[in-house]
Amino acid sequence: MVEYDINRGIMKKFEILEHKADLKMRVFGKSKKELFRNAVLAMVSGLQPKVKSRRLKVKNIKIKSDNLETLLVDFLSEVLYLSQVNREIYSDVKFKKFSDKEIEAELVGQKVESFSGDIKAVTYHNLDVHQTENGTWQATILFDV
Amino acid sequence: MTSKKDFKKISDWLWEIPKSFRHDMRVPARIYASEKMLEEILKDESISQLINGCTLPGILKYGVAMPDCHEGYSVPIGFVGAIRTSDGIISPGACGFDINCGMKLLKSEYSEKEIKPHLEDLAVEIQKEVPSGLGRGRQIKLSIKQIDKILEGGAPDLVKNSYGEKEDIENCEANGCLEWANASMVSERAKNRGRDQVGTLGSGNHFCEVQKVAEIFNERVAEIFGLFRDQIVIMVHTGSRGLGHQVCTDYLREFIPLMLNKYKIKVPDREFACVPFNSPEGQRYFAAMASAANYAWANRQMITHYTRKAWKSVLGEKSSSLTSLYDVAHNIIKKEKYLINGKETEVIVHRKGATRAFPPGHSEIPERYRESGQPAILPGSMGTASYVMVGTKEGEEAFYTTAHGSGRTMSRHAATRAVSGEEVVRKLEQKGIIVKCWSMRGIAEEAPIAYKDVEEVVNVTHYAGLSKKVVRLVPLAVIKGE
Repeated sequence: MVEYDINRGIMKKFEILEHKADLKMRVFGKSKKELFRNAVLAMVSGLQPKVKSRRLKVKNIKIKSDNLETLLVDFLSEVLYLSQVNREIYSDVKFKKFSDKEIEAELVGQKVESFSGDIKAVTYHNLDVHQTENGTWQATILFDV
Repeated sequence: MTSKKDFKKISDWLWEIPKSFRHDMRVPARIYASEKMLEEILKDESISQLINGCTLPGILKYGVAMPDCHEGYSVPIGFVGAIRTSDGIISPGACGFDINCGMKLLKSEYSEKEIKPHLEDLAVEIQKEVPSGLGRGRQIKLSIKQIDKILEGGAPDLVKNSYGEKEDIENCEANGCLEWANASMVSERAKNRGRDQVGTLGSGNHFCEVQKVAEIFNERVAEIFGLFRDQIVIMVHTGSRGLGHQVCTDYLREFIPLMLNKYKIKVPDREFACVPFNSPEGQRYFAAMASAANYAWANRQMITHYTRKAWKSVLGEKSSSLTSLYDVAHNIIKKEKYLINGKETEVIVHRKGATRAFPPGHSEIPERYRESGQPAILPGSMGTASYVMVGTKEGEEAFYTTAHGSGRTMSRHAATRAVSGEEVVRKLEQKGIIVKCWSMRGIAEEAPIAYKDVEEVVNVTHYAGLSKKVVRLVPLAVIKGE
């Protein structure tokens, strides 16, 4: 899914990579925070939601993990849990605290009428989070679908 | 990267990579496949993931891949490994997120001719009664207390409450309930995800199909199974839904640091997240996995109840009801005993995308199947044939395990680019198959072109002796819920 034209110097947020059974995605961000935010958008695209109402819903989350890589998976797992239990999608993340091992954030989203796609879980398989030579961030994540 | 020359050919259907192939292998790796299928399988990560499975502490004899295997994470989908309980590990990753995903087959007493005029109504009614759980459809939210009862009571708990027949429980792996389940080992969040999903199909390749018996390969066994030519049957494929996914998510998160720091277990993929089976943590996961497995059996039992309701509402209250042939898991971890190096050894069998198929005479199968062996249900891809197989004595070579379906050959993404959902539906309708679905993209993702040919998979399992063909089923209506 190309959200922006990379040739015009605007970074794309995420793209789908080939994987036989699951949903493999590469996510981009100018900063770690943007990377995490775009990873949420990548996951939402996999859920293919039909939004019910435009009224904004807010959820607070707190996550601790061992390192930046596992923090990303644990953060997404928590967002996925909230999405499925509350039937909501989150399109914005306002970070209150952000380190390589801890996140406190406010998720902003909307109620969903139905999902056309399902994501069972976020996996740690071949997980990669790194900073590129030009200082931007990239992550490769495999979602079990 | 492995190539064909790394394999020793044991038979036309069985290949082996010796333990010496990679320094960290504890046992050889085996794959059941024809030469042609092996060449295909070599194109993805299946074999390196199979080899990864052969490095697990305590694994015995060999790690085995089924003919329908394809890449996944940790081990490939289509894997069975037997790990010694005394000093081996347990791996949530090698069971997967969809704990006790499995198959159930319901038999009717009617032939195709009798049902054909009602088929459209039946498909509509089943679609309404058995929702996907992602869209509209029935929404009943159970309390945490009710979920706890299901986690520990499984399908029998529902049957006790009039959601099924005694025979449903008899004709079900483990009688629909693993007794070592413990609801307190399942997190509140996992229970929350399960509250409104009992009796729902989910998405992806999960489905409900109205089928007919098109061909009989073994008259005697078909008779024992109560199957006859042109008979209408209903096949259900689903698992433990969000509850099972969350159980796996929770334990992976907890176990990865434990594996690395506390138990210092070295494995090639952290997704294994393994801990010693005989550790407090290992036992906790084993009880949580069993609870999720019970939830899955309850889910398929509830779907059975609603399918029967749809059946009666279309065919009338006086119509004879649907009976269960069998219900069997293909993602599960169980304790079993095998003769290994002349010694009876207790192992923890990890089956991921692989179906248990016990032989004739086995004590864990219902009395009525003791002579024949356990029915194993092998679904084909959407709109193609499925098979009822039967367990054999020779299956012991693969820890009494057979394939679980056709196996993907094309990614979902590639499938949606290759074909549209509308086109798939049109092609199926041209073949006279009714399709009731809630997502056209979902239909494209599951298009038959994205899967291996089920006939090839079934032939390998048949000729290799993992399980034998009993009947071939062809679909009349594919239903994927509302």
